[in-house]
Amino acid sequence: MVIKWISQVVVLILVVVGLAFFAAQAGSNLRAKNIDTSWRFLSVNPGIQLGEGIDVNPETGARALWVGMVNTIRVSVVGLILATILGTIIGVARLSKNWIVNKLSTTYIEIIRNVPLLVQILFWAAVISNWPELTHGAGPIDGWLIITNKGIGLPRIFPSIGFYQWMVVVIVGAYVGRRVYNKRETEREETGRETHALVSGLGVVLAFAAVGLLIHPVFGFLGPVFTAIGDFVGGIPVFVVQLLLSAAMVAAAALWIKRFLDNLRTPAGLAKLTDDDIFRIVFAGFAALMGIVLVFIVWPGLSAWLIHSSRDFFHFLGDKFEWLRTGRPLDAERPAITQTGRFPNFSSSGLVITKAFGALLFGVVLYTAAFIAEIVRAGILAVPKGQTEAAGALGLSRGLALRKVVLPQAMRVILPPMGNQYLNLVKNTSLAIAVGFADLVQVGQTLYNQTGRTLEVVAIWMGFYLAMSLLISVIVNFFNVRLRIVER
Amino acid sequence: MTGLESRADMIVCQGVKKWFGDFQALRGIDMTVEEREVVVVLGPSGSGKSTLIRCINRLEVHQEGRIFVDGIELTNDLRNIEKIRSEVGMVFQQFNLFPHLTIMDNITLAPIWVRKKPRAEAEALAMELLERVGIPEQVDKYPGQLSGGQQQRVAIARALAMEPRVMLFDEPTSALDPEMIKEVLDVMKELARTGMTMIVVTHEMGFAREVADRIIFMESGEIVEEGTPEHFFTNPTEDRTKLFLSQIL
Repeated sequence: MVIKWISQVVVLILVVVGLAFFAAQAGSNLRAKNIDTSWRFLSVNPGIQLGEGIDVNPETGARALWVGMVNTIRVSVVGLILATILGTIIGVARLSKNWIVNKLSTTYIEIIRNVPLLVQILFWAAVISNWPELTHGAGPIDGWLIITNKGIGLPRIFPSIGFYQWMVVVIVGAYVGRRVYNKRETEREETGRETHALVSGLGVVLAFAAVGLLIHPVFGFLGPVFTAIGDFVGGIPVFVVQLLLSAAMVAAAALWIKRFLDNLRTPAGLAKLTDDDIFRIVFAGFAALMGIVLVFIVWPGLSAWLIHSSRDFFHFLGDKFEWLRTGRPLDAERPAITQTGRFPNFSSSGLVITKAFGALLFGVVLYTAAFIAEIVRAGILAVPKGQTEAAGALGLSRGLALRKVVLPQAMRVILPPMGNQYLNLVKNTSLAIAVGFADLVQVGQTLYNQTGRTLEVVAIWMGFYLAMSLLISVIVNFFNVRLRIVER
Repeated sequence: MTGLESRADMIVCQGVKKWFGDFQALRGIDMTVEEREVVVVLGPSGSGKSTLIRCINRLEVHQEGRIFVDGIELTNDLRNIEKIRSEVGMVFQQFNLFPHLTIMDNITLAPIWVRKKPRAEAEALAMELLERVGIPEQVDKYPGQLSGGQQQRVAIARALAMEPRVMLFDEPTSALDPEMIKEVLDVMKELARTGMTMIVVTHEMGFAREVADRIIFMESGEIVEEGTPEHFFTNPTEDRTKLFLSQIL
């Protein structure tokens, strides 16, 4: 037992020492060549302009990289959603018995997955370049849709004055709708009658939203209430928050230990604890202690920050709920063209898919969708034919059999490779550099051309993509575990 | 054929023919199964016996001839098919339980979603059926945690939960280890005693001799001989039947 513990500690020490040695070695090598690491470029003005983003004239290097990260996340999230939808449709279409649908989807998959992604992205950029010039008054439907060689302009829908008052009504509606749904659902379980639970639940929410359009100014009185709450929260002394946080941590640790012991308890009484169990209990207690030290000594600013930010949050709400403020909760604006040949960057007017963004998005979405289609097809085919037959023999309709029997089993085959495709899509967005989309890699490259801080920028790239990939893995794994089939 | 006017006729096949590509699996089957009758279908593999019972609940589509179940003709009309399928229970060689659902959910799925039964009622019925097939203690497990014999008994309970008027068995014991065959056959015998109409495709001669009201012997997609078990096992008339029996017994 002791040997087991010692051996683990020794291995850990060896790994840490080994890594430290390599890091030190690399550092001295670099210093010998007069290459040192410095992060000062992050806080000085890089003097670069970005193609698009939340801030096209970033004041600092860090800000520039942040704009790039936001752009990468933007294209990734939109791409993941679209690729999943398109891929699923094509995958199912490939299983269709309709000859045309079947052949079309097969052709799509064969063409797309056999051409390099970079070529496809350049192809889409070339296609968009050949669309009409961007001029004043361009676009059909009175300028609500603009398709030009600079990109696509769509109307933007945004929260307007009165949005927050309206949201109060919608949130209440969502709560009531949820209650109605639950009630209907239990009714169906108990009586077997079809009660249309989902339709009635959503109907209630929509009804509330519609009525809210008319009555939302009534909720203006909440503004002073929120301001008062903000004032109250802002007045709480710091040590009270520190005490509350400590109490919460002690309570959490105690609760965890109690549940842990409850799980170990057998009908015959408390089971014998192994030293692993004792270690976990001690560790939980120690973690709570560390938390208290953190709150009181190491980082007293945390409690103050909590107070300030909640105060600011309530004051923000108070401002939004100005007394008797009226107006439409939502508004739409058409993409305004103020200058020939140029879309405004991230103004309040219109939602613009620029040429670079569009080419990259079309490229990764269409490319990944081809692979997702094959995964979906494989997943559905992986469910044995006997399952469909058994469902049919029991009298289940084709739709019910698909929903209750085939899809739940196909999902567990589909999910792991699907996660791989999601990772690929996110990493493939780094090809943005080919069409000049200001993603993290493109911004980073511009930045190190200016400052010469190549290693640092590369380290940031790697850290960012690693974090994104791990996040996706965690999410996919979560669903993976939930879908696992119990055997033996 | 005997007309479908006679109410006692549960299943009527008239000149049923079926091709898989160029291969003709059924060459004109005429058969009538009466209510409460237990018919055992015997024959060498590839003789079309599985295809025949799979045509009866339309897992396979016959190309010529007519099939009536309880007076309803099997056509392409979807409503007919779903109606017949909920009247006809089927037990497969490979059990085909739903691996992602517990035993309870396997049994209650169709009663709740097809028959629109209240969950409590469906679960009570499921427990009753599990008692009947002798494994009520397995109700919260998943199919993968059960032995083959137990899985097949769950499959029988699942089919019975739809309260069918006919049960079809497609070689229900062929995928089982020898020591588990008896427990499944016992359940089927008990079912036969309660007066269920049954068509059983099997290689279990003992079961056929003991339980069957009538035995149908098929070869190459045709019915070669049919009669009572006594007639069939002691005094068969056709040469092909004699050859088959000499190989098996």
